[in-house]
Amino acid sequence: MEKGLRYRSRLILLFIILSYRPPLLIANQPGAEEKDLVIIGGGVAGYVAAIKAGQEGLKVTCIEKRGRLGGTCLNVGCIPSKSLLNNSHLYHQILHDSKPRGIEVGDVQLNLQAMMKAKDTSVTGLTKGIEYLFKKNGVEYIKGTGSFASEHEIKVQLNDGGETSVVGKNILIATGSESTPFPGLEFDEKRVVTSTGALSLEKVPEKLIVIGGGIIGLEMGSVWSRLGAKVTVVEFLDQIGGPGMDSQIAKEAQKVLKKQGIEFKLGTKVVSGENTGDNVKLQVDSAKGGKPESLEADVVLVAIGRRPYTAGLGLENIGLELDERGRVVIDSEYRTKASHIRCIGDCTFGPMLAHKAEEEAVAAVEYIKKGYGHVNYGVIPSVMYTYPEVAWVGQNEQELKSQNIPYKVGTFPFSANSRAKTNLDTEGFVKMIADPETDRLLGCHIIGPNAGEMIAEATLALEYGASTEDIARTCHAHPTLAEAFKEAAMATYSKAIHF
Amino acid sequence: MASFATATRLTTRLISRRVAQDAASRGFRTSAASLAAQNFTMPALSPTMTEGNIANWKIKEGESFSAGDVLLEIETDKATMDVEAQDDGVLVKITQGDGSKNVQVGTRIGVVAEPGDDINSLEIPADEQPAQKEAKKDEPERKQDSQSAAPEKKTSGPKKTGEKAPPQKYPLYPSVEHLIKEHRLDGSAISEITPTGPAGRLLKGDVLAYLGSVSSGRPAEIKARFDHNSHLDLSNIKVAAPKEAPKKAEKAAAPETPTPIYHVVSSTISLARVIEVQKKIENTLDTFIPLSTFVARATEIANDELPLPSNYEPTADELFNQVLGLDKASRKGSRGHYLPQISALPSPSFTGVAPKPKKQVDIIDFLAGSAKTPTPKPRKTGPHGGISTGSNIFSLSVPKAEEKRAQTFLQRVKAVLEEDPGRLIL
Ligand SMILES: Cc1cc2nc3c(=O)[nH]c(=O)nc-3n(C[C@H](O)[C@H](O)[C@H](O)COP(=O)(O)OP(=O)(O)OC[C@H]3O[C@@H](n4cnc5c(N)ncnc54)[C@H](O)[C@@H]3O)c2cc1C
Repeated sequence: MEKGLRYRSRLILLFIILSYRPPLLIANQPGAEEKDLVIIGGGVAGYVAAIKAGQEGLKVTCIEKRGRLGGTCLNVGCIPSKSLLNNSHLYHQILHDSKPRGIEVGDVQLNLQAMMKAKDTSVTGLTKGIEYLFKKNGVEYIKGTGSFASEHEIKVQLNDGGETSVVGKNILIATGSESTPFPGLEFDEKRVVTSTGALSLEKVPEKLIVIGGGIIGLEMGSVWSRLGAKVTVVEFLDQIGGPGMDSQIAKEAQKVLKKQGIEFKLGTKVVSGENTGDNVKLQVDSAKGGKPESLEADVVLVAIGRRPYTAGLGLENIGLELDERGRVVIDSEYRTKASHIRCIGDCTFGPMLAHKAEEEAVAAVEYIKKGYGHVNYGVIPSVMYTYPEVAWVGQNEQELKSQNIPYKVGTFPFSANSRAKTNLDTEGFVKMIADPETDRLLGCHIIGPNAGEMIAEATLALEYGASTEDIARTCHAHPTLAEAFKEAAMATYSKAIHF
Repeated sequence: MASFATATRLTTRLISRRVAQDAASRGFRTSAASLAAQNFTMPALSPTMTEGNIANWKIKEGESFSAGDVLLEIETDKATMDVEAQDDGVLVKITQGDGSKNVQVGTRIGVVAEPGDDINSLEIPADEQPAQKEAKKDEPERKQDSQSAAPEKKTSGPKKTGEKAPPQKYPLYPSVEHLIKEHRLDGSAISEITPTGPAGRLLKGDVLAYLGSVSSGRPAEIKARFDHNSHLDLSNIKVAAPKEAPKKAEKAAAPETPTPIYHVVSSTISLARVIEVQKKIENTLDTFIPLSTFVARATEIANDELPLPSNYEPTADELFNQVLGLDKASRKGSRGHYLPQISALPSPSFTGVAPKPKKQVDIIDFLAGSAKTPTPKPRKTGPHGGISTGSNIFSLSVPKAEEKRAQTFLQRVKAVLEEDPGRLIL
């Protein structure tokens, strides 16, 4: 018996040997079929290209190392920031703007954890949605870090361990961007944070300094200011909002944000910083050589811009070029030096915006599939989701001035708009810029409630070469904020009725 | 891509509807034109396309087509593209047959008519190619616009003036309509206005320039600026010196690095009860039930509805439900395919290595019974010593994400084998 048992036990060993095999990625052994398109990066640029390629019938693989699709935008950018902006605005409004509207609210409490959870729910829902769209459109999704082994082969370090490789007829680089660090201040994402850290602080800081008064800095500054932090924005230039924002609008935005409690130090340069562990100390100088000053805060948000991210991609293995700012060098059809390798989104030229990345994704796939694609870079809108919102498209006044291009301007304030008045929400104005002779719209700049939605109309007008008269002669519903848009057009080509 | 779509879509749009409307409302086109067949010209499938080859016609002369039908296939140096009909119609005649090479954009390639038209009695319009060539010579800049507009504008109706800009195929902009009415411009005047809008659209400035109220070159100047701004500025790129090794910190925006490969999960399970039961059955029923059967059945049971791996990838349906927020009832577990590795607790007396066992009936049965089992992957079995009648180590090596799943599995195997193995058989 004993012997028999032994023997049989060895038989058991046979299937012991059959024990376990990882179920994943059997199809991706080296030497597997060649894909029509392999995409590195599953951000907006990468995932949109993947879905589009799937729809066009291409065999496509998308490699993403984050563990979730959607890239910066969905995970740590556009979406979570807008969730916090929306909910912190509601909180702020309930606190400060309910009484005059006849709403008496009792004790208002901030539950930061719940607010963060609401944000996470939005993010998870949207990233899952993309995963679903991948499945629906037959996109193969590999979770791992891709790098060039050769001009057609991408090696992937799988997130779950192990390695695989994919071969593509065409390859698309869509690896995005990362926060530019401030020299001498290391990110710990607790006290010295990037926007990513600022999107998930565990408690409301007493004092927050934002280095950089661009869109991301002002949005995150607004969130924490509304939730109770004392926020100071330090900006090197003399204007907030970055270079694209019309100066007149930027001044108005600064005024409004100041009224909300944000302090601004413009024309001010941060010279050095030190993270003591308890707080962060910054030495600042007036950019024009004024007196140095030292500032302190519990948290410092470094929002001085983003830079292309291509680390670990192995571009050097195949001799692809970067420019001096780290952007992947491309031609007008998004081709790198190797014509079957294209690059789109934040890691190459153009504005770092999600919708720009998305347009490029479609165009790049169309170049591959049909030999022609198109993005109109002159008509890409920008939105800053502060309260009120700031939005623009086309050229701004200072640009036209500096290029000696003649223009005419028409504006209309929301304080003269019936809907804004009824909503007790009358800050801001619409500004249109047109050619003085032909009346063709050259740019539109809005600060005011719902500016981000309203800019779509200006974008359409620009795309079609409309004159401001064309806008003015188009019927707009009453009473809507959009009437302010129409009246600004009237003011540009002739006269506004209500102002 | 918009312009490609526009170009192809527009190629065969028959003008009757618009012409009828124009004739009635604006009176700038003769109604005679709408009754004649239309020239169908080589479309520009991209803004840069100047010529193309006709790969082949998909319909024959005299055949009708409906909106959306592919009329022909055109090859350019970049791609081969289908040209679809936007409206219903009849192909009256093919003037450039299959395989025609280097056909200039705007050249007549066929003649089309309204659906139901009697093609025998239709007047075939003259080929207006010469006029177009002239226009091209005069105004190379404008040619782009006439390309995409070409197919529609060729009519055989009498022309009061020499051919100028293509007729507007889109509704006129409100400002343009207004100026036209205000200045009582007729069809022939309009056809003399050079459009500078996207895809040949007439803009307010174009009419103003025609009327002389603004300088005549102004609209084109603005157009040039818009064209310029519409491109990414890729001039003056300063290529960085090639880097040898990327030294940028990987941690920056990068998520955590992948975790190592396998984790061993194990549990000590005694087979004493099993052997007891086995003996009992052999004695009472005179049937020998191999140990493997017990283990196999225990495994079978324990594999049922295991917790999902932490990196579980939901199916499309599950994802869809999650997106809709319907995932409350979605799966919490799934069937596993684990087969534990079994070895006796190390005993000093045993040193032998298991010889390659011959296939035995019970093994084959076992394998057949677990057909879903993934193909074997040999792994080193560590210090094993066969199986002991007492305590054995059951182990699995699994990716990190499956640790919990594997533990649950082993707990269940243990429970079944140690507590009441008889039920596995009876
Ligand atoms: C706080 C914040 C707010 C923003 N708000 C807005 C907004 O409101 N509107 C807007 O238009 N834009 C906004 N942006 C910008 C927007 O997020 C980016 O323009 C957009 O995400 C760019 O998309 P992308 O696909 O080019 O790059 P990313 O979104 O950065 O995606 C690149 C992806 O590639 C992956 N990757 C990198 N290297 C590899 C590799 N070797 N292998 C595999 N995967 C790799 C990365 O993990 C990443 O997920 C915001 C950005 C931030 C930071």
